[in-house]
Amino acid sequence: MIGLEKNPKNVKKVDLVVGIPSYNEASNIIYPTEQAALGLRQYFPDLDAAIINCDNNSPDGTGNAFMNADTKDIPKIYISTPDGVRGKGNNFRNLFEKVLELDAMAVVVVDADLKSITPRWIKNLGEPLLNDFGYVAPLYVRHKYDGTITNTIAYPFTRCLYGRRVRQPIGGDFGFSKQLALSYMNTDLWNEDVAQFGIDIWMTTLAMNEGVPICQAFMGRPKVHKPKDPSADLGPMFRQVISTIFDLMIAYSENWMSVKWSKPTAIFGFGLGEVEMPPTVAVNRENLYMKSKQGFSEYIDTYKRILSEKNFKKLKEIFSLELEHFEIPTFLWAEILFDLALAYYKKTIERIRTIEILIPLYYGMTLSFVNKTRDMSIQQAEDFIEDICTVFEQTKPYLIERWGS
Amino acid sequence: MAKILVVDDEEHIRLLFREELEDEGYEVALASDGLGIKDRIDNEDPDVVILDIKMVDSNGLDVLQEIRNNYYNLPVILCSAYGNYRVDLKSIAADAYVVKSSDLRELKDKIAQVLETRVPKKE
Repeated sequence: MIGLEKNPKNVKKVDLVVGIPSYNEASNIIYPTEQAALGLRQYFPDLDAAIINCDNNSPDGTGNAFMNADTKDIPKIYISTPDGVRGKGNNFRNLFEKVLELDAMAVVVVDADLKSITPRWIKNLGEPLLNDFGYVAPLYVRHKYDGTITNTIAYPFTRCLYGRRVRQPIGGDFGFSKQLALSYMNTDLWNEDVAQFGIDIWMTTLAMNEGVPICQAFMGRPKVHKPKDPSADLGPMFRQVISTIFDLMIAYSENWMSVKWSKPTAIFGFGLGEVEMPPTVAVNRENLYMKSKQGFSEYIDTYKRILSEKNFKKLKEIFSLELEHFEIPTFLWAEILFDLALAYYKKTIERIRTIEILIPLYYGMTLSFVNKTRDMSIQQAEDFIEDICTVFEQTKPYLIERWGS
Repeated sequence: MAKILVVDDEEHIRLLFREELEDEGYEVALASDGLGIKDRIDNEDPDVVILDIKMVDSNGLDVLQEIRNNYYNLPVILCSAYGNYRVDLKSIAADAYVVKSSDLRELKDKIAQVLETRVPKKE
């Protein structure tokens, strides 16, 4: 629900929208806004366009900073949730409503804290939408320890379930068509986790299940934002993303049960010259080890109840390993995630607790990933992630057999 | 019977692939380069394309983009003498990547896999 709107140029109809969701990004939002305006003028000069900041009425003055950005002749619109209503997903819902009202045929979304965006990002995320693609996901070179939720859960899980290889399903920067905006607006599959940080995986998963043609756009530059040590506290984002994955898995069970192996998408955006390497992300292995072991001890009775007997035994053995040799084999990780998804579906324990007990195992898997890839280049680590995905696809019958029983 | 289009500039490779794949029960069509790939696919209507990368008259990775932009779900297996092209991001638009070998078991396994791949096709 839009609680506040500023539309000084009284824009009523556009062809293309760039959306920038935000909360307290006054010190960051001007840069991506101005880069987006440059991209719109340079690459889409014949289209009517607007930039929309969808905000949570940020107290730091994000809205004013946005409205003061120099976008030349590209109009700006500011929309906000009502006072007291927060959440990235709520901002997106307002964006869907506004782009449908403006009858825009395509929408590009970029994060408000982006420091590496160039005008070309707008072209690469927007142009495929004018060529019959319905959803465009970003493709960046990321440091091997940036995006560990994506690498160990979101990517292999959504790929094996829905059969499309979207490498950054929670990338944050993407494009979608008017048709998909309408589907997003009209679906019943909305809840409080989606209204928060579950929105990115929700949009990608719905795009896969709506069957719109998906494209991945190579951005050329790495995403420079606020990367985080994977051993740091996870905050609500992890819970919201995983709950959304599991909720959608229940909603789309008929679809994914019929999916076997996976297929690539089209790729767009080459010819950008030398690929820039991403900044290094530090990781504290000792912290990962300590947190995963503590959590495993705390929840051991629940693991025993939820996991299959063989997987529980194997996990007990693994949690007796010392840090240097700590490793969760990929097939076991896949089966454990499937066991937890089943427990979530069948409400073996309270659903929120199922997500809680995943956290120590996620720390353990992250440590295992770091141990395995420590001496690898980014490309070698990428090949390893590809192997993880293959194992998930091979293990999927384990899930199908138990889901229906 | 599934039909396979082999695109490779080396004649002995094309002939080897045809012989081996026909023995497996596939129908095989051959092309010596990737030029005019769209017409070739429209004419042959293959179920799978096996595509070389380093060809005299064309770059298989560019041909792959042309195929993927026009035939969203057509399975393409990159088959190259070189493994290093795997690092090129363009290669991820392929269903699979196989390094050429005199033993075609891996290629045959990948063909079988891409043929049994199922994803919802509302597109």
